[in-house]
Order: sequence, then structure tokens, then C-alpha cells
Amino acid sequence: MAMGIDTAATRAQVEQRLRGSSRDVAGKLFRATLLLSLLLTLGLLVLLLGDVLRRGLPILSERGVSFFSNGSSTLPARAGISQALAGSIALVVIVAVVALPIGIAAAIYIEEYARDTRFTRFITANIRNLAGVPSIVYGILGLVIFVDFLRKLLTGLNTTGGLISGGLTLAVLVLPIVIITASEALRSVPSGIREAAYGVGATRWEVIRSHVLPYAAPGILTGVVLTLARAFGETAPLLLVGAVQGFFSTGSGSTGSKLLGTYTALPVLIYDWSGRIQKEFKDLAAAAIIVMMVVLLIVNGLAIYLRNRYERKW
Amino acid sequence: MAVTQADLQGDAKRRRKEGLVRGLFFAAALVSVLISALIVVSLVGKAIVFLTKIAPNWSVLWTGGWFPRQGQFSIPTIFVGSFIIGGIAMLVAVPLGLGSAIYLSEYAGPRSRRRLKPIVEILAGVPSIVIAYFAITIISPDFIKKIVGTANYNIFNLAAAGIGVGILTIPLVATIAEDALHAVPAALREASYGLGARRKTTSLRIVFPAAISGITAAIIIGLARAIGETMVVAVAAGGTGGSQFTTDIWGPGQTATGAMAALATGTDSVVGTGATFESLFFVGLLLFALTFTLNVFSERFVRRVRQVY
Amino acid sequence: MKTRKRVAVAAGIVALALVAGACSSSSDSADGSASSSADLTGTIAVSGSSTVEPISSLVAETFSADNPNVNISVDGPGTGDGFVLFCEGKTDVSDASRPIADDEIANCKKAGINYVELKIGLDGITVMTNPANTAVTCLNFGDLYSLFGPESNGIDTWDGADSLATKVGGNGGFPAAPLNITAPGAESGTYDAFIELSGFEDIALGQGVSEAKSVTLRTDYQSSANDNIIIQGMEGSDSSLGFVGFAFADQNADQIKEIEVDGGSGCVAPSKETIADASYPLSRSLYIYVNTDKVATNPALAAFVSYYVSDAGITAVTDSDYVAIPPDQLATTQAAWATASGSAAS
Repeated sequence: MAMGIDTAATRAQVEQRLRGSSRDVAGKLFRATLLLSLLLTLGLLVLLLGDVLRRGLPILSERGVSFFSNGSSTLPARAGISQALAGSIALVVIVAVVALPIGIAAAIYIEEYARDTRFTRFITANIRNLAGVPSIVYGILGLVIFVDFLRKLLTGLNTTGGLISGGLTLAVLVLPIVIITASEALRSVPSGIREAAYGVGATRWEVIRSHVLPYAAPGILTGVVLTLARAFGETAPLLLVGAVQGFFSTGSGSTGSKLLGTYTALPVLIYDWSGRIQKEFKDLAAAAIIVMMVVLLIVNGLAIYLRNRYERKW
Repeated sequence: MAVTQADLQGDAKRRRKEGLVRGLFFAAALVSVLISALIVVSLVGKAIVFLTKIAPNWSVLWTGGWFPRQGQFSIPTIFVGSFIIGGIAMLVAVPLGLGSAIYLSEYAGPRSRRRLKPIVEILAGVPSIVIAYFAITIISPDFIKKIVGTANYNIFNLAAAGIGVGILTIPLVATIAEDALHAVPAALREASYGLGARRKTTSLRIVFPAAISGITAAIIIGLARAIGETMVVAVAAGGTGGSQFTTDIWGPGQTATGAMAALATGTDSVVGTGATFESLFFVGLLLFALTFTLNVFSERFVRRVRQVY
Repeated sequence: MKTRKRVAVAAGIVALALVAGACSSSSDSADGSASSSADLTGTIAVSGSSTVEPISSLVAETFSADNPNVNISVDGPGTGDGFVLFCEGKTDVSDASRPIADDEIANCKKAGINYVELKIGLDGITVMTNPANTAVTCLNFGDLYSLFGPESNGIDTWDGADSLATKVGGNGGFPAAPLNITAPGAESGTYDAFIELSGFEDIALGQGVSEAKSVTLRTDYQSSANDNIIIQGMEGSDSSLGFVGFAFADQNADQIKEIEVDGGSGCVAPSKETIADASYPLSRSLYIYVNTDKVATNPALAAFVSYYVSDAGITAVTDSDYVAIPPDQLATTQAAWATASGSAAS
């Protein structure tokens, strides 16, 4: 051949080029910077949790059960989270009862029933916008619609709107998130499943009930759990709707009066205690944060576990 | 026997039930529309009451400071505060969030991804009140104090609150950016590698620009979230009542959300000029309009991503 | 689907159980006895001054330990806000760190609210600064006016107030340092009491300030209804300035430095003794106002207030680090309550 190309040298050159010089400083630096951003984030998280643990663990070990069984008090030595924890749990229950059925139903409609019309696109765009509304605006909604309206309906209600108003407000807040996560879960169900069911003559609802929902359930469940965790940690709307800071005591009354009477929630309590000047209250706030974070970690861990356990690969 | 449409449709009872179920689900979807309507109604109604109460002294809306009990409702005061917080928050959230997103998307192998992604997910689950506590007990006394020195240090300052809000926003920016980067087709990357580019070049010059719409959306959504954040500001920025117009990030200040929280933690019957409590709704309306606009704006970017691919 | 339903049901049962368990738990027993009756039921809403709030909270806590079936809530949005609620009939007891004002009396009368005023304790207003501020130890009324008063908008250094101080009879001689003020706002009784006790109104009128403005402070400072925030604000710059109720300042004495006040007879430092004998110029009385109409219909309220002003209950004042009213004034209060509750019950 008359070309005279030295193939051996060319091949080595190409390999060298592809492998890149081992002294790719810029590339390594870049990679290190990116990793640093992740590690910085981790570092902040660790710093935060470390400080909270440092301040709060001694309280928990000193006070033990009384921290959980006592209610609010002006004296740090006696203050506990029982009312706040009960309030938070009650709020989450209300949110679950109200927001989950409506949210999942709405997601089913959007993903399974709705045709791609302008109206449907309007609904989905609207839901996305609702998800971006600041939480305190939902507090205003709760104040005007739930508290004031309830007050007109039931004259003689005290100034706070009760757990009902708080729960409804939080339910409205998390509704868009439930819809979005449920929609994603439904969308991930392969169409083959549906088509098989239609093929044997099932109606749309029967297809959804017997095929789509069971397969989307793990994803929906994960979304549900994460949504409830979010409702558990919300503070701003509750401040507007009437969660109490400061001392209160509720005697035993009918469940109705409990639902409409004074209440507080764990994040509101943390807000109250963080603002107090006595150092003991700051430590108490840290202890309450530990309780809250433990609950959230368990819940988030449960969500991840459920997702991994029930996830089916297609 | 021929199969008619009636045979395929099934009996009437099933069809009725089907229609009923469909109606129920449609109603559920309409609830979301109802909620939007209720938000607007609850804001606009009382905001108008506010405006009628302060008329015709419109100048109270931009002169002086934010002292609602004394009839000073300077909107620039509180919204400048909001933008300052938003700006500082983005300075924290964009580098850390984007950096994390690019690393997780372009560099991390499946094993390190499994180990590192939870960092972002855990931070996403931390409630804002916890970050607020962090801001007032660590960020302000330990970091801001060192920067400013003790002579001029105020435990409540916009800088600490801004950093706190930034930390809160990191997961949001990271998640949306990572989705955008992930959506870039592998073919683009492979073509780049095929031409001999290194990973850094591919990430920066190919993938990043391809995902720029989604990344811009991430930043805008992050900014909207930062402006709408309440608890961190309420605890750490010292916005618990009146505030003068200030742009000093090392001192206390007031934001739109902080002003609303301050009005809320009083009672709904407050001492002051008649319009004091109603100012809450007016500010809420403005805030809603602002974050709504930002979110709609960001969606135009997201839609562009979907179109291209 | 079934698993999901089962998990949901189980979770719901657990949640309800927790709620039921937590709701029925009672707080641990507190010292002091109250008129106890496990059958006493009712709802009591206490609101108003954030200064009196710790006292009322303590009384409420002790009272509810012995009367677990009574719903009590205590809030502290500010004396002014408390009166607004009180004169709308929304609260049963209004805490106040100043006497009820004329326009508030008119509002209550217009709404048909009858009340009784009960003095329950003494407090002072501490003017304070950062512990590192060694340059300022004593201020007289003129000094206070030049630093806080309605003409001081825009003065952001201590020495910037010197000229105004000398004009209104102050000593001046302030250091050249930034002036960072954190103090109560207009909703707070402490705000009104400070203005009244320091005689700002007369000084302002003498300076030609309008009548409406003469009973206000400057408007350009960081105001808060939350006394905790005011104390924390002192921790800020080395030359911060503020005022707050004495008990709050005293409890956090390690974080602030008290400034002595000269009311014309020399510099006096605030202390329990100087407040009790009124030698401290910024001493004031603390009150509770009780809706007498509700006393007739609400036995829990009657029992609560009876406990509050009784010898056993009034110890909450000193337990909360406030100053007890002298025995003769306590007797007056108890007599006033006896009359009011007696006539209400009849």
C-alpha cells in the first residue's frame, strides 16, 4: 500500500487521547467541587442535628416520661409536649381523612378519565400552581373560610378555630401534593395492564379498581406517607388559624368540644419555646425537635421501605 | 347471533355505577379548582376592605416603614426584605443545589447515588421550624457574629434568616435540576463521549445547556419558595412588629411573610388604626400574586423542555 | 389493595388511641392548693398583657391541676389587644400592665360589658442596655425623652440625642455609639406605662408636639410584643437600648445591664425593694379585669378569680418574680372581688 500510515502509532495516539491525560486537573477539580456541594449540604444537616441532639438529649434523659406526659407550663422544669403531640396527631388524622380520598380521587380522574382538553390542562396547571402557593396564604384561607365561617355557623365558638379548622387548612395545603404524587404513581402503571383488563370486558372503574390501583398502590402509599409527614411539620398556617401559644389546659369534654377548643401542635410549640428567653426553653425546644425529627425519620424510612418492598419492576 | 353494541356495553346498572363513579372523581378534581377560587376570594375580599379603609391616604403604602399599628403600611419595606431573603437564599441554594444535582446526575455511580441521594431527601423532609431554630441558635451566633464582630452584631438579622431559607430551598432546586439533567437523552452524552470529550466538558458544555430550561425553572421555583417562606423569617429575622425600611442584611428586617406572621400571632382584634389587621390580607394578596407569577413563569421553561424532546 | 386498607385502618386505630391517651393524661400535681372540685367544668379565656401573662399562667396551671375539667387558656398579645377582646366579650379576664384607658372604658360600656378592676401585683419598667455598655449608667426623664420620644425619629447614635436631651432637661453626655432600640410596640401596656411614668406627654407638649403624638414614642425602632425578643435584642450590638417589664429583665439579668433612672430624686436602680416602696420612678401596678356578667353564669370563672386573689393564689405574683402588693392593697382587692362576685351571684 502506498499510504504509508504508521497504524501502530496512530492507534496508540487515539487510545491516549480517549483515555485522557491522567493529570486532568480541571476535571478532577470540577468533580471535587461538585462533590463538595453535596458534602457541604450533608455537613449543614449534621451540624443542625448535632446541635439539636446536644441540647435536647440531656433534657430527654433527665425528664424522661414526664416530657411526654406533661402539658404546657410556664416553668421549664414542668413543661412537656403532651398537648402539642396530641394536637399534631389529631391534625394529621384529620388531614388523612379529608385530603387523601379527595386527592387520590382527583388524581384518578386526571390520569384515567380525563381527555386531553383545555379544561383538563387548566386543572393540572391549577394544581401545579396550588403546590407553589406559600403556606401562610393557606393560613389566610383557613382563617377566612374555616374559622370565620365556622364561627358564624356555631355562635359561641371561642376565638380559635379548633382542631377542625386547623386540620381542614392543612388538608387543603397538602391536597395538591397528594394529587401530584398520586398522579405520578398512576402514570407509572404500564398501559399493558389496563389494556389486558379492558380486553376481558371490564369497565373503566373496574379496571382502575382491580388492576391500576393495586399496582400504583406502593407509589401512592409512599406519596401519602410523605404528605402526612409534611402536614406534621407545618407551622405558619396553624398560627393564623388559631393554634395556641402559651399556657392552656383542656379538661375532659365531649369530643366535639375537644375538636373545637383550644389546641396546639408540635411545630407551634417549638416556635413558642424557641422564642422564649430562658435558656432552658431553648433546650426544651431542641428536645421537642428531636421528638419531631424521630417521628419524621421513622415515617420517611417507612415510606422508603414500603416503596422498595412493594415496587415491582416492569 | 350477531354481537350488538348493547351486548358489549353491558347492563345498565353497571353503566350507571360507572357514571356515578366518574362523576365523583370529577367532583374531586373540581375541588382543586374550588380551592383556588377560595384563595382568591378570601384574599381579595378583605384586601379590598383594607384599601377602602386607608383611602384616600394611598401614600401610607410607600412612605415610612412598616408599622401597621401606627397606620404605616410601607409595602416596599417588607417586599425589599422578601427579595433580600430570596437573594441570599438563592446564593446558598443554587450552588449547593445545582452542584449536588450535577454530581448525582453525571458523576455518581449507582452505588454512591444510593448513598448520597438520601442526603437531599432527608433535608427535604426537615420542617421549616427546625431550620428556623438552627438559624437562631447556630447560624446567627456562631457564623454571623464572627463575620460582623460583636460591636455591630444583632442576633436577629436578615443574613442568618436568608441562609436558613437557602438551606431549606436546596432540596427543591436539587430535585428539579436533577430531573431536568436526567431528562437529557443519553444519546447526547454518548455522542459527546464518542467525540472524545471528558466528563467535565460533556456535563458543562452539552448536558447543562440542554437542560437549561429545567434548571432555570428550578431556580425560579426555588426563588418563589424562598420568598414564600415564613417560619425562618419569623424566628430569625427579628420581624416581629414594626420595621423601618432597611437594606442592611446584618441587621433585623421585615419581610412580607414575617409581617403576616406578626399580625397573625397577635389576635384578630388588634390595637391600632382600623386597617391594621386587614393589612394581613392585602400583603397576602400581593405575595400570592408574586409567587403565582413566578411559578407560571417557570412553567414556560419546563414546557420548553418537554417540547424539545 | 387489601394490604393498603389494612395498613390504613391499623394506622388509624393507633392514631386514635394515641390521641385518646394523650388527651386524658393530666399534668402532674402542682404545689399550692386551689378550690378543688373534680366536677367543676367550664371555659375560661384569659388574655392581655404579656407582662402579667406569666402570673396568670401560673395561677391557671395550679388551678387546673386541682380542677382538671376546666378549660383555661392564657394568652399575652398585649394589654391593648387584650382590652379590645375583653370589650368585645371574647375573654373573661383581661390582664393589664396599666389601668384601663378612657376609650377602652367607653368601648366596654358601649358593648355592655361590666367589669371589676383588681390590682394584683407591682412591677417596674427596666430600662436596659447591653452589658458591654459601660458609658451609660443613669438616665433621667429628659434623657429618656431624647432617646425614645416622638421627636427622636432618625436619631441613630446615642450622642445624636445630646442636643435634644439638654433642651428638655436631660443630662446628655451620651457616648458616640450606634443606637439600636428594641422595645415594646403600641399594643403593649408597657409602652403606655413607660410614656406615662416618664412624663413624656408633658415634655412633648412643652416642645410643641401635637397632642396625638405626645403620647407616642418614636416610630423607627424594632418593636415587638414579645418581651423575650426585646431581651434578646439587647444581646445584639454593644450599645443597644430598650425597656421591658422589671421581672423579665430581672430573670435575665445576666444578659442585660439595667440603667438607673433618675425621677428627680437621684438615680435609683430597679429592684424589688425600690419598686415596693415606689422609690423607683418607673414603678407600676398590675391588674386583672374580670367580666362580672360572666362570673354569674360561669362558676369556674368565679372559682378561678377567687383563687387568684386569695392568699394562696396571689403567691403566684412573687413566684413569678414580680413584686407583691402590700397587704392593705391586697385586702382592698379581695374586698372588691367579694363585692363584685357577691353582687353578681345574687
